Amino acid sequence: MVIHIVEDDPGVNESLRVLLQALDHVVISHSTATALFTAPLPTQDDLVIVDLGLPDIDGASVIRWLKNLSAPPRVVAISGQSQKLIDRALKGFQALTVLRKPLSGDALVSFIA
Amino acid sequence: MPKSSPMVHEARLLGILDTAADGIIVINAKADILVFNKACEAMFGYAASDVLGKNISLLMPSDFSVDHDRYVSHYLETGERRIIGIGREVRGKHADGTVFPLELSVGEAQTPDGRQFIGVIRDVRSRKAVEQRLNQLQAQLVNMARVQAIDEMGAAIAHELNQPLTAVMLYLQAVIRKTSSDTASQLAPQTLEILNKALREAERAGGIIQRMRHSVERREPERQACDLNALIDEALELVLLGHDIEGLQIVRDLDAMLTHVHVDPIPIQQVLANLLRNAMEAVRKSDRRMIKIQSMVSGGQAIVNIEDSGPGIPPDGLSNLFKAFATTKKSGLGLGLMISRSIAQNHGGDLTVDGGGDGRGATFSLRLPLIVGSHEQGIADQ
Ligand SMILES: Nc1ncnc2c1ncn2[C@@H]1O[C@H](COP(=O)(O)OP(=O)(O)OP(=O)(O)O)[C@@H](O)[C@H]1O
Ligand SMILES: [Mg+2]
Repeated sequence: MVIHIVEDDPGVNESLRVLLQALDHVVISHSTATALFTAPLPTQDDLVIVDLGLPDIDGASVIRWLKNLSAPPRVVAISGQSQKLIDRALKGFQALTVLRKPLSGDALVSFIA
Repeated sequence: MPKSSPMVHEARLLGILDTAADGIIVINAKADILVFNKACEAMFGYAASDVLGKNISLLMPSDFSVDHDRYVSHYLETGERRIIGIGREVRGKHADGTVFPLELSVGEAQTPDGRQFIGVIRDVRSRKAVEQRLNQLQAQLVNMARVQAIDEMGAAIAHELNQPLTAVMLYLQAVIRKTSSDTASQLAPQTLEILNKALREAERAGGIIQRMRHSVERREPERQACDLNALIDEALELVLLGHDIEGLQIVRDLDAMLTHVHVDPIPIQQVLANLLRNAMEAVRKSDRRMIKIQSMVSGGQAIVNIEDSGPGIPPDGLSNLFKAFATTKKSGLGLGLMISRSIAQNHGGDLTVDGGGDGRGATFSLRLPLIVGSHEQGIADQ
């Protein structure tokens, strides 16, 4: 399993990578949606962590794109925005896990497991 | 027939008296009314014939008429002026008993019949009413702005603090997990204990942020059908109040369809006032000072565009514009746009900007949904 990170905040992006690597995961991190789109596709075994507030393309569109792949990976959304904005952004998604910031490593680890 | 004073004998003067927009009253040293012009009749609700020869105190509220007698006798005795030649705001009493504010200037004349005083009176009720309304509006807005600003600021700062705090928590967890699983890099138990404490403190800060956020998230805008154009005009009135508007051109292009937009009027007016104030400040140093306000309906949304002829916003300034404490002004807090965007989003709308440049000023666009529908309910997560 490879864990892909799409997060524009450099601190959150790097600390996520450092934590996941400390847990012996293979991690590929991107700071934009465009970077994810142009990299090798995530596979069905992979997990993609998507920040909802990306600068180039909104996180919801990224998630939609991922879910429409022929062999979609698992997806978890992370967001520092208000619940209302999250609800609005993710309207129509079923059974999507959203972890809100501040993000605890435990919540993430238990989701990965 | 009224006993005319020599001072107003001339026909020309009499003509002036009755066409004057200001009230004119002439009294003698005993304060008996000698002249009472048409404007006074309208102002006080008495016919001249009712009041001529009567004491001027008839036209004053009783507390003031006592003072007035004292003024007159004080002046006659000492020559010391209280009102004469100065002009001041006093209160008058209408025939129906209503007390109203008026502006009074008094002149004095020596006539063969003795000393006379001529009072020129201006009814300041309409001006007063406008002032009062503006004061009220402003007080309300300032007060609301405070309450709202504290909440919104809390929410927005919570949001901004979230990122670094998340990073701190994840870094700490990375160290703790790494060193407890990997025997080669094991830490002294005391060091590990300190890291765990640091993590707990970071989590505590996270809890505080969540509480700040929750108090705002639970609050829904109190919507009512509002005339958005009226809100724009009121905000404009408020922002222009007390500013040097010499040479400032305001262009309003308002869509008459926007009379029933469902919003919480006070915060929305606050957004409009913030944007207009920023625009006013942006054009201050420009050769051509213009603010254009446009409202319209498009794509199920009410849109208000506020464009100014200021310097615009450089591209590298755009990314931080809506963040807390982003200001280029000496006395600015840098909260106006942050709060405004948060209010717009809380309404299901948004606030965006086109920075302009190359001779164009900035254009801010406030978008508000016209139909408040099911998306407000949202979906549950987790
Ligand atoms: N119309 C505009 N044209 C050019 N720059 C603008 C305009 N509106 C805002 N800005 C820039 O954006 C910054 C942030 O605006 P904001 O309203 O958030 O804060 P502020 O006006 O500085 O302070 P305050 O909290 O008192 O409103 C301003 O300091 C100014 O540099
Ligand atoms: Mg401002």
